[in-house]
Amino acid sequence: MRATSLSFSGVSRRFGRVAVLRGAAGEVAAGGLLAVRGPNGSGKSTLLRCLAGLLAIERGEIRAREEGRELATADRRRRIGFLAPDLALYEELSVAENVELFARLRGVAPEPGLAIARRFALPAGRPWGALSSGMRQRLRWAWALLHAPRLLLLDEPFQNLDAEGEATARALLDEHLASGGLAVAASPVSLPLPRITGELDLAR
Amino acid sequence: MSSTWLAEAFAVFGKDWRSEMRARHSVATLVLFALTTLIIASLALGPIGASPGERSEVVAALLWILLLFAAAAGLPRAFVHEEESRTAAALRLAARPSAVFAGKLLWVASLLAALEAIATPLAVALFDLEVASPLGLLAALAGGGLGLAAATTVLAAIVAQGRGATTLFAALAFPLLVPLAVLAVAATRSALLGGEAGPVLLQLLLYDGSIVVAGFLLFPVIWNP
Repeated sequence: MRATSLSFSGVSRRFGRVAVLRGAAGEVAAGGLLAVRGPNGSGKSTLLRCLAGLLAIERGEIRAREEGRELATADRRRRIGFLAPDLALYEELSVAENVELFARLRGVAPEPGLAIARRFALPAGRPWGALSSGMRQRLRWAWALLHAPRLLLLDEPFQNLDAEGEATARALLDEHLASGGLAVAASPVSLPLPRITGELDLAR
Repeated sequence: MSSTWLAEAFAVFGKDWRSEMRARHSVATLVLFALTTLIIASLALGPIGASPGERSEVVAALLWILLLFAAAAGLPRAFVHEEESRTAAALRLAARPSAVFAGKLLWVASLLAALEAIATPLAVALFDLEVASPLGLLAALAGGGLGLAAATTVLAAIVAQGRGATTLFAALAFPLLVPLAVLAVAATRSALLGGEAGPVLLQLLLYDGSIVVAGFLLFPVIWNP
């Protein structure tokens, strides 16, 4: 296993009687991207939430290594970058205040997050509650990359973004992978993504 | 990652106050509830012609009934709001569970302290009371308030994870809060009337310590999947 990598096997999760994930497996190493595909309801978001440590798995194994060190679930939860359509920030706080709050929680300087927000042309003073869905997705990108994570989990990464927003997001993803980070990206459609090193089709 | 635990806890605390000051989810409801209850009770009891001692007995109980109901009505929002507005995931991914608990506990405790600071002088004025031991009253309010904040924070975290949150809150709150209420009322009565409050305050302190420690131990299990 390489210095920074993520692998999982036999990952299963059910909600009540509905088995959403049955033995999902995949791996990705530094600089690579694992593309997760499947129709609605195939378990893409559930898999990403399990990988992030936001949902417990019933069976299987998830192993994440960063700089050669195996991460426990609690460490993995705090170190990954996570982006998902249902992830919200604080609606009363502005773009800048949300970035500053999470920078304080993560113990990093807010400037890199604010710089990403500027790259996305986000209005620093506008509250989350007054952002359009596309602007929220832009701020989710800044939030996910705020602490310069090595492991990036992206659920529907370009949802609601316009052409300009998508171009910026793609550039950020490319920079992340070029700098030795890795990513798992889930989408119901086949996305033309850079540096795909593995694919997982949950429809099968 | 170099954030200190204290910095994380205060960031959560500061965020909650800032959001509250802008949206006023809880403060307005709690203050209105406190004012209405006290004014109605004082108007109802006024014509009865109760003695100062009887009025002190009534106020000691009334104050804690008011604080308990205010806590039950307004404070589960500490976590329910995070889940309902879908911000809980961001908080789970960014902060240590114990720091989240500490931040939320500080927020609930400060909100209760603010409510006590409004309701207590108002109750003393409306019921025309003389406080025999102002320091004892402060100790009773601080001890009862901390215990109530800690118990409410733990309960709010539990109910935020499941359906039927309000019913579950009531069912869990009863056995946890009744002993606290009994101690807090006894300490407040002693402070108002001038009785021996030391043993009751000590029991209150032990209750607070137990519930705070239990909260820190339980919270990571409740908060994380």
